[in-house]
Amino acid sequence: MSDILTLEHVQKSFGTKHVLQDLSFSIPRGSIFGFVGENGAGKTTTMRLILGLGKADAGTILVNGDKVRFGETKTNRITGYLPDVPAFYDYMTPAEYLRLCADIAAVPNANEKIDQMLQLVGLKNDKHRIHGFSRGMRQRLGIAQALLNDPQLLICDEPTSALDPAGRAEFLDLLYSLKDKVTVLFSTHILSDVERISDWVGILHDGRVQACDTLANLHASYGHRQVVMTFATTAEAQKCAELFQGTQHEEAVTLTYHGEYAPMMKSTLQKLLAANLTPVSLRKADPTLDQIFMEVIKK
Amino acid sequence: MRDLPVFFKKELLETWRTYRFLILAVVFLVFALMSPLIAKLTPEIMKMSFGKTIGIKIPAPTSVDSWTQFYKNIAQMGIYVVAIMFGGTMSQEMSKGTLVNLVTKGLPRWTVIGAKYLVLLCQWLVVTTGAFLVTWGYTAYYFPDSKSPDVFAAFVPLLIFGVFFLAVILFGSTMARNNYGGLLFTILIMAVLYMINLFKQAQNYNPVSLIGDNMAILQDTKDLAKLAPAITIAVVAALVLVAGSVAVLNKKSLK
Repeated sequence: MSDILTLEHVQKSFGTKHVLQDLSFSIPRGSIFGFVGENGAGKTTTMRLILGLGKADAGTILVNGDKVRFGETKTNRITGYLPDVPAFYDYMTPAEYLRLCADIAAVPNANEKIDQMLQLVGLKNDKHRIHGFSRGMRQRLGIAQALLNDPQLLICDEPTSALDPAGRAEFLDLLYSLKDKVTVLFSTHILSDVERISDWVGILHDGRVQACDTLANLHASYGHRQVVMTFATTAEAQKCAELFQGTQHEEAVTLTYHGEYAPMMKSTLQKLLAANLTPVSLRKADPTLDQIFMEVIKK
Repeated sequence: MRDLPVFFKKELLETWRTYRFLILAVVFLVFALMSPLIAKLTPEIMKMSFGKTIGIKIPAPTSVDSWTQFYKNIAQMGIYVVAIMFGGTMSQEMSKGTLVNLVTKGLPRWTVIGAKYLVLLCQWLVVTTGAFLVTWGYTAYYFPDSKSPDVFAAFVPLLIFGVFFLAVILFGSTMARNNYGGLLFTILIMAVLYMINLFKQAQNYNPVSLIGDNMAILQDTKDLAKLAPAITIAVVAALVLVAGSVAVLNKKSLK
C-alpha cells in the first residue's frame, strides 16, 4: 500500500513558540488515520500546512507524490477539507454553496452530484439559506462540500467535537463508509472516536509524532493487559493489592500482567485461594486508546 | 481564468443578497434627486429663513448650482459611503474563514481580488452613472440654461477616480484584520492626497483633483486634458494597488 501523504521533518513556529518540531509521518492510501493530541498540540497547524494554507518553516510535505507549496492549489485538487468550524456564505442556500464549490473544483455532472451529496448528509435541496442553520447542519454541509470533488484524501479537523452523541455516531458511520475509497485523516481529542473507526493512529505530542502505527500494533507496543477484580470489602481488596502489587481503588484491584492470560490467571487464582480471598467479580480489561495515549506522552 | 467568472458571480450574488448594492443605489439616487432640488429651493429657503432682513440680492439658481451640489455630495459623502460599505470586502472573508473551503477546492487567490475589484467597479459604474443621468435629467428640467456646457467631460474624472478609490479600499481591506482597519487606511490615503493638493503645482497630478475640478471642467474653465497626469497616475496607482492586494493575499495564512 503506497502512502498518499508524507511529512518529512516539518517545523513550524509562531513567534517563540515551536508548535511543530521535526514532524514526520506517512499515511497509507485507503486508511482511516486518527490524528490525536492534546489541545494546542499542533493538529490544526499540521492540517493547514498539508493544505498549503500556512507556510512551514522547514521540511517537506508530499500529497500523492506532489510537493505542497504554500498558497498554491495543485495538491488541493485531490483533497477535501472539513475545518473544525466550517464557514459558509450565509446568504446562499446549501445547493448554491455546493454549486460554487463544484464550479471551482470543476466537478462533472455537478447538479447530480450536488443532489447526491445533500442526500448523503441529510440536507434538503430547498430555498432555506445557510443563515438559519444549526451547528450540526453546518457540519453536515461541511462534509458535503469536502466530499463534493470525490477527493482521494479527506482531511477533517475535529469533525465530531460540535456534534451531539447521535450526530457523532452518524458522522463516524459516514466516515467509516468511505473506507478503502477515500483516505481519511481526522484529528480529534475524543479517543473513543478514533478507536471506533481508525485503523491507523498518530499521536502528536511536543511537536512530534511520538507514535504512528496501526491500532493493533499500538495496543501490542504500549497497551498493558490487565485484570480487574472486585472484592466484597475494602480490607480484602487491600490485602489482594499487597499480595500482587496491584493498584487498589476502593473494592477494586487492577493487576497488570505480561505473557499469556490462562497460565497467569491459574496462578493468580491459586494464590487467592491460598490467601483465603474470594473476588465477587473478575474481568479481563483490554487497554484503551486513552491508556495508550497516556503511556506514549509519558515517555 | 475559469475561476474568475465563478467568483465574480458569487460576488454579484453577495452584493445583491446583502443589500449592499441596493443601499448604495438608494444613497446615490437620493444625491441625484436632491442636488437639483436643493439648488432650486435654496433661494426660497433663505427667503423664508431671513425674510427681508437679508441685505444681499439672492441670484436666481442655475444648472451650475445643481451640478455643484451633485459633485459636492459625491466627493464629501458618496465616496465615504462607498468606503464604509466595502471596507470589509476582503477582511471579512479572512476573519470569517470563508475562503478556506474555496481555496482548498483549488480557487487561485488572485481570482478573489480580481473578481472583487471587477464587481466593485461595476457597482461604481452603475450607481454613479445612474445618479449622473438622473441629475442631468432633473437639472435640464429645472434649469434649461446653457451655463453647464461640458456635462459629460466633467463626469469622466469622477468615474476614473472610482477606479483609483476602489483599489485603495480593496488594498486596505486586504491588509486589515477588520472593517475598521480598511476604512482607516482609505481615510488616511485621502487625507494625504488632500494635503498634497494644497500645493498648486501638484494638483494636476493628484488623483483627488478628479473629484475637485469637475465644476471647472463643466463650465469649460478647465480643459479635461489638463487632468491627464492625474488620470494616468490614478489608473497606474489602481493597477499597482490591485497587484499589491494579490501579493498581500498570497502571503497571508488563511484561517
